[in-house]
Amino acid sequence: MAKKINQSIDIPHLGRVEGHGGIHVEIADGEISRVDMEIYEGSRYYEVLVVGKHFTEVPPIVSRVCAICSADHTLASQMAVEDAMGIQISPRTRLLRGLLLHGSMIESHALHVFALALPDLLGYPSLLAMVDDYPEEATIGLGLKKRGNTVQEMIGGRAIHPVNAVVGGFGKAPGLAELEKLAGQLQEGLDDALKLVDLIDSIEFPDLSDETNIYSALHTTEERYSYLGNEIHTSTGVVKPIHAFREICHERVVGHSTAKQSLYSENPFMTGSLARININGHLLKGKAREVCDLLLPNLPEYNDLHNNTAQFVELVHSLERAMILVNKIIKDPLEDEPPVQQVVKSGTGVGALEAPRGTLYHSYEIDDRGIVTDADIITPTAQNLANIEKDFRTAVTRHMEGQQEEKKDCLEMVARAYDPCISCAVHLVDVTFKEE
Amino acid sequence: MTMSKPRVGIYGLTSCAGDQLAILNCEDELVSLAQALDIKSWVMAQSVNDEESPLDIALVEGVVGTERDLETLKDVRERAKVLIAIGTCAVWGGVAAMKNHLSRERMRELVYGAGAEHIDAQKALPLKSVVDVDYELPGCPIEKHQFLTLIGSLLHGDLPEFPQVPVCSECKMNENECLLVHHGQVCCGALTLAGCGARCPSLNVPCVGCHGPVEEAHYNANYRALRAHNISKDDIHKRMGIFSSPAWMPKVLVQDESLGREA
Repeated sequence: MAKKINQSIDIPHLGRVEGHGGIHVEIADGEISRVDMEIYEGSRYYEVLVVGKHFTEVPPIVSRVCAICSADHTLASQMAVEDAMGIQISPRTRLLRGLLLHGSMIESHALHVFALALPDLLGYPSLLAMVDDYPEEATIGLGLKKRGNTVQEMIGGRAIHPVNAVVGGFGKAPGLAELEKLAGQLQEGLDDALKLVDLIDSIEFPDLSDETNIYSALHTTEERYSYLGNEIHTSTGVVKPIHAFREICHERVVGHSTAKQSLYSENPFMTGSLARININGHLLKGKAREVCDLLLPNLPEYNDLHNNTAQFVELVHSLERAMILVNKIIKDPLEDEPPVQQVVKSGTGVGALEAPRGTLYHSYEIDDRGIVTDADIITPTAQNLANIEKDFRTAVTRHMEGQQEEKKDCLEMVARAYDPCISCAVHLVDVTFKEE
Repeated sequence: MTMSKPRVGIYGLTSCAGDQLAILNCEDELVSLAQALDIKSWVMAQSVNDEESPLDIALVEGVVGTERDLETLKDVRERAKVLIAIGTCAVWGGVAAMKNHLSRERMRELVYGAGAEHIDAQKALPLKSVVDVDYELPGCPIEKHQFLTLIGSLLHGDLPEFPQVPVCSECKMNENECLLVHHGQVCCGALTLAGCGARCPSLNVPCVGCHGPVEEAHYNANYRALRAHNISKDDIHKRMGIFSSPAWMPKVLVQDESLGREA
């Protein structure tokens, strides 16, 4: 019979999880009594900061919620403002926004898969420490990240906190010569990424599969894999319009966190790459289709640790799709056009898109002077926190008889899989483990 | 005196991590940076960090927004010979300090509802209001070329002097049509420190002041130019206050904008 265990596992400084956080697990009489993803990042109160501001000031303010997905915050807030004021954007704006989103996805996924997950899986403290032994992989990883940044610089005007994207459109369209150069760089990036498929395929993850898992992602009515959509679909068959996002994300405040958590019908759910592939993966085409069939052959995939694998599939998809969009612009060059002139009117609007870590919701209420009177932002990481705790519980349960190190490694791997922020999983150092 | 392999710590307090990401975005220079510097601590990029070592250079991003931030900053200050504030948050408070005149308890209640007392509610402060800072590199985020110049100078035992001129200087060099004079848009370029190459106005987007204020701006001439377009002193100070509120609040008639929400 198993010995009754009393112990606590503490990973006090998990590093950045959109900032600072840790893991705390308590086991009493062989049962898990407590699993906390502790978040102690300082609060900046964005939802209060934007109240009283003119709607044009909102995107540059909320972009600062997070540098890594600043393009996503910028676009989601612009879409929400446009929705509130009834602004119709041009096809040119839609095209450039799509391209900017792919740039953000390429940069973020390349950073996470290669600079973060890979060094850990190969046993190095950082990507830089890998350079001597794995020069090709390190160079390819940094090169892919740079290509994502090039897209964001060219379309957004800056790699971090884009300035060229404004409410109603864009400041300036990119030049033809630049775009032609970019098309070549994206093709090289795709060729490079495909060289690493076998490496990604060779990574083995512990089995945390649980068929009761719930996944949520935006769904487009167009027949293609997209990061935009007007409906929220869950793996349990629920369909809601994006305006009803609060029916999917029931937010609650918990004592061990400065971030709110989201539940759906009292259940945790997952958003992000794996959720998107589980819900919309059948729409993938081209190389991404081939890579997905090879790496994730049995969809839906219920092992959340495969979020890393799903990110790699999306990296390939975004490189391909960005190339298609760039070539489309080259064939039919864009004229500079001023952003849509806004007729200021009051209203409430919602903007939603798939950011690298999952569905991002912005909502604003605007008065007849164009001043924001209420704001609500729900980030992917906030939605995922309750599910991360659920996966921690599964990990500890399945390794109840295992060694301390095994449990810690598995907990860290769970946190890493979610990519809560850039260094979330890199910095799993101050691990303390106490047996009472 | 040339420093050989200076011991460096890179830290993020309450922030969006954008300045550290700007360093990580030096993809072409990252490997040589790692060779030239002895990086003792950089939580965002490496998993083995030494939090005891004396430091020749500490680069700190973000605002002091929690008790924990304060402890980290004081500890880093004690261990570092040269402490450098990177990014507009660390230099001026950034967006987090925009509403420092509001009670943090009230802000907490508005965002989290009642019963969230576990959340540390402090004002967002720039580094210099808490410790001595040896050098400041503003920018939201910092400019890659300025950061690399800074590191290059430090490796030679020096600190760079960037031109203390407004964004308008760079905008003129780019031969842009003035967004304020010709288009009547609220542009903060005349009051904002250059270094960005007038990125926004060159894209037809008005400057929002993300590098913080330029020293000794020609205020009266600027106010006159703004007034000609029905933009008041308060309007422009409020706009500048998005990124560098502590530098402008004394100048602004403090209006509690958020109260509109409760009314």
